[in-house]
Amino acid sequence: MENKKTYPKKVFEGYNEKYDQKLMIEHDYDGIRELDNPPPPWLMWLFYLTVFWALGYAAYFHFFHIGPLQAEEYKIEMAEAAKKYKKSDAGTKQIVLLTDETSLNAGAATYAKSCAACHGPEGKGGIGVNLTDNKWIYGDSPENIFKTIKNGTNKGMASFSSLSDEKLMQVTSFILQKLQPPKVTDTKDNTDSNN
Amino acid sequence: MIQEKFYYDNKIVKLFAYATIFWGIVGMLVGLWAATELAFPSWNLNLSWLTFGRIRPLHTNAIVFAFTGNAIFTGSYYAVQRLLKARMFSDFLSKFNFWGWQLIIVLAAITLPLGITVSKEYAELEWPIDILIAIVWVSYGWNLIGTLLKRRVQHIYVAIWFFLASFVAVAVLHIGNSIEIPVNFFKSYTVYAGVQDAVVQWWYGHNAVAFFLTTPFLGLMYYFLPKAANRPIYSYRLSIIHFWSLIFIYMWAGPHHLLYQALPDWAQTLGVVFSIMLLAPSWGGMLNGLLTLRGAWDKVRESAVLKFFVVAVTAYGMSTFEGPMLSIKTVNSFTHFTDWTIAHVHIGGMGWNGFMTFGMLYWLIPKLFNTKLHSEKSANTHFWIGTLGMLAYSVPLYWAAFTQTLMWKEFTDAGYLAYPEFLDTVTQIIPMYITRIIGGILYITGIIIMLPNLIKTIKSGYIIENEEAYAAPREKLAKKRLAGETPHRWIERKAVHFTVWVLIAIIVGGLVEIIPMITVKSNIPTIAAVKPYTPLELEGRDLYIKEGCYTCHSQSIRPFRSETERYGEYSKQGEFVYDHPFQWGSKRTGPDLARSGYRGGKMFRPAVWHYEHFKDPQGFIEGSIMPAYPWFFENDLDYSSIKRKIEVMQMLGVPYPVGYADQAEADLKKQAEGIAAELKKAGKDIAWNKQIIAMIAYLHKLGKDISLATADNKSNATDKKTETVNFTASSNPEDLKAGAEIFKSSCAACHGANGEGVVGPNLGDNFTLHGGNANNIFKVISDGAGIMTGYKSQFNQEKLGQIASYVYSLLGTNPKKGKDPEGKEIQK
Repeated sequence: MENKKTYPKKVFEGYNEKYDQKLMIEHDYDGIRELDNPPPPWLMWLFYLTVFWALGYAAYFHFFHIGPLQAEEYKIEMAEAAKKYKKSDAGTKQIVLLTDETSLNAGAATYAKSCAACHGPEGKGGIGVNLTDNKWIYGDSPENIFKTIKNGTNKGMASFSSLSDEKLMQVTSFILQKLQPPKVTDTKDNTDSNN
Repeated sequence: MIQEKFYYDNKIVKLFAYATIFWGIVGMLVGLWAATELAFPSWNLNLSWLTFGRIRPLHTNAIVFAFTGNAIFTGSYYAVQRLLKARMFSDFLSKFNFWGWQLIIVLAAITLPLGITVSKEYAELEWPIDILIAIVWVSYGWNLIGTLLKRRVQHIYVAIWFFLASFVAVAVLHIGNSIEIPVNFFKSYTVYAGVQDAVVQWWYGHNAVAFFLTTPFLGLMYYFLPKAANRPIYSYRLSIIHFWSLIFIYMWAGPHHLLYQALPDWAQTLGVVFSIMLLAPSWGGMLNGLLTLRGAWDKVRESAVLKFFVVAVTAYGMSTFEGPMLSIKTVNSFTHFTDWTIAHVHIGGMGWNGFMTFGMLYWLIPKLFNTKLHSEKSANTHFWIGTLGMLAYSVPLYWAAFTQTLMWKEFTDAGYLAYPEFLDTVTQIIPMYITRIIGGILYITGIIIMLPNLIKTIKSGYIIENEEAYAAPREKLAKKRLAGETPHRWIERKAVHFTVWVLIAIIVGGLVEIIPMITVKSNIPTIAAVKPYTPLELEGRDLYIKEGCYTCHSQSIRPFRSETERYGEYSKQGEFVYDHPFQWGSKRTGPDLARSGYRGGKMFRPAVWHYEHFKDPQGFIEGSIMPAYPWFFENDLDYSSIKRKIEVMQMLGVPYPVGYADQAEADLKKQAEGIAAELKKAGKDIAWNKQIIAMIAYLHKLGKDISLATADNKSNATDKKTETVNFTASSNPEDLKAGAEIFKSSCAACHGANGEGVVGPNLGDNFTLHGGNANNIFKVISDGAGIMTGYKSQFNQEKLGQIASYVYSLLGTNPKKGKDPEGKEIQK
């Protein structure tokens, strides 16, 4: 039984005949012999441990219903986020156009990345509508434009609600101030735009 | 004792060895090309058959079935004859196995680039080839079991147990997963739908890894490693324990490929716990291999063969540690759909399968040709360059996965996605994609170094194709267990018993998971709004499958805020009931597409956007790595089988009306013309019968139905009627103006510009059909009434409220040319 005591050593030490039990006489397959060593005990313990863990895991979720299942987990995540972040609800707040250079540049960058593919690099339209002609399907106020970008439209424009309100305001400001012609030339009577 | 004379068949071993090397080089070059396309999309040269979606399955099939498949046959045909002291049962079956297998590979190499595929990963080949695979595989098993029956040794050795288990399990898996109904010679639909198909596919997919890439290679290890090291196997008892626990547990672990997806929780749990329990049995194999080398480590320093084996077994140990870890749901929530999976399989593929094969060939070829290896030094160079290549391949991909998953999941302080543009998370990891190409080149350089070394070895020796051998015939022992004989030792001499036990061990897991998925309805709650594909959408779907879009795009949004914020509502079981086969995918090189048909959603793109994007993705979106699909615009849609396709779908339980197949072609044309007209309006002139039209139709179907059911997820609307809403009209001019805007575009067509009524009733009088309070109006707009459709799928609650407020404000305005009153008079 000295075998057992010195076992852990055996794993790491070089081969040492005295630690090994005998070759199994009967076992000879095309010259391959087999030893009658026990499996490493730590491996067996690892196995038992994983089996117990498995039972515990299944019990935790399915027999005792302690852990949240997938759908529940999602609800918890969403509820926590709702508590943590107070996202503005588009439409409920007045939007003031940003005029500083930094914001407009940031708006231009967002525009280039997220809008230009459909509305053209200069906003002349393409897949999406022309943004430079002062014609607006969903309203020309900053709020309406903001909301259109945020929520998307039924006609095919995607919702960009994954962009932050800050970014949306920057890009709205950019569209209204950099892509639109000056208001002087505006022939439409609808001028409730506050800029 | 009388010694019988017999002959080993060495010729068949030689043939398989040559095929291994040849297909290895081919398969790896295809992989290299595919990897290059990921960093440099123009490398598809605008050729359909060279595009990533078509050659990625070619690479995986070539490596799994051609390279390692032939390696398995090489090793097992050599080892089995010697371990059983008998020539193979039938020379005909040996030859049939060899030539049949090569034929399958050639057919795969032709059909996959042509897009003839069923899209189930590692089982992409179409039904005629599936049948051929079954026949050839059974011929191998027949040959194996026949040899077992005529063996001269009493007991069967552990290597044979593994070969036997591999044969039995792969036969069951392949046949079970490939049950499909043919549409024509080149096209079939799997009988399983959606979630069921996903479970069956990953029961297969996971265990193809288990019983094609793991157990047969353990068989090779148990023969070639002790032979090369000239050491006894460390522990016979460990062999028994890890063999049975491994083959039993492996079969349960498949669902870990579908964690946090639209799979019932109980099935996910089985996937998790069995994967964890798989760790120790897998390591049992590694340890028995490494501990067998005790006392031979000095030889490892000189011998390239042993070096290959040591790294192979170590890579096996690493992969089988990583696998269970990736099956923990929390870990999986980060790693799934990323390059982590790709790195993981390449540690297994390059390390375990590749290096076992190389080690085996360096040992076997000199033995077969009765000579010495031409250059041990060259083999050592191969070893080092291969190891380096493996690291240079996988480390950047781990890094890429880590980077990208964190980018996908990162939120800003204000609670928004930090990287809302998917493309940003792709461009970030392109440098890692480039580094991985270098890793691939190094690894292939290794095998190219091996080639002349082996050729020179072969030229310096000679082969005895029928090698003379002697052994005593097997002594007849009692059928019953002998005194002192352990039960396991007893079945080791009873080959048929052994095979039956193996069959029982491997079949339990699959049955427990698959049968309830098919028979118990509650596992897949249905969603009434989900409708079968229209004929055009079905054709588009078949194109999606043909092009291998699933190799880069998932259609499975997981229930995480980071995913629902990016893509929309997470995927539900009931969405996939008409999907034969399912298309959830396993990797997101591009974004998820499950909601690309949800108008007003985050992933919707208009027809003309898809038109531009398919035509020239890089010109359209700078930095995109999506390949261009110019042939979508040139090739006509082949809808000649649409009638049969609808009939097959009906056979599979998809509820098309009786006789619909006859109408399918007309419907297809009608819908296609609609899309062509829409494109024309946007300035794109294209015939209705081009492939692009069907693709657009399909993409616009994805998630469309569930968007009708769940409407805007922000509004919590369900497919139930909107009854609980307590709506009061707003008099805020802002809201009324917004309502008026929507009215103009969505309502005026039927109700007139001022609500005077056209098809729909007059909204400006004092008569209403469904009640005149604001709440009733809201409900009608939301749910629809009579011939009027509901709009809750298209507008969120806020917008619906604005329209309702506007409509409410119209009451009593008595517009000019008003339609005659309908319904009851009301007092406002």
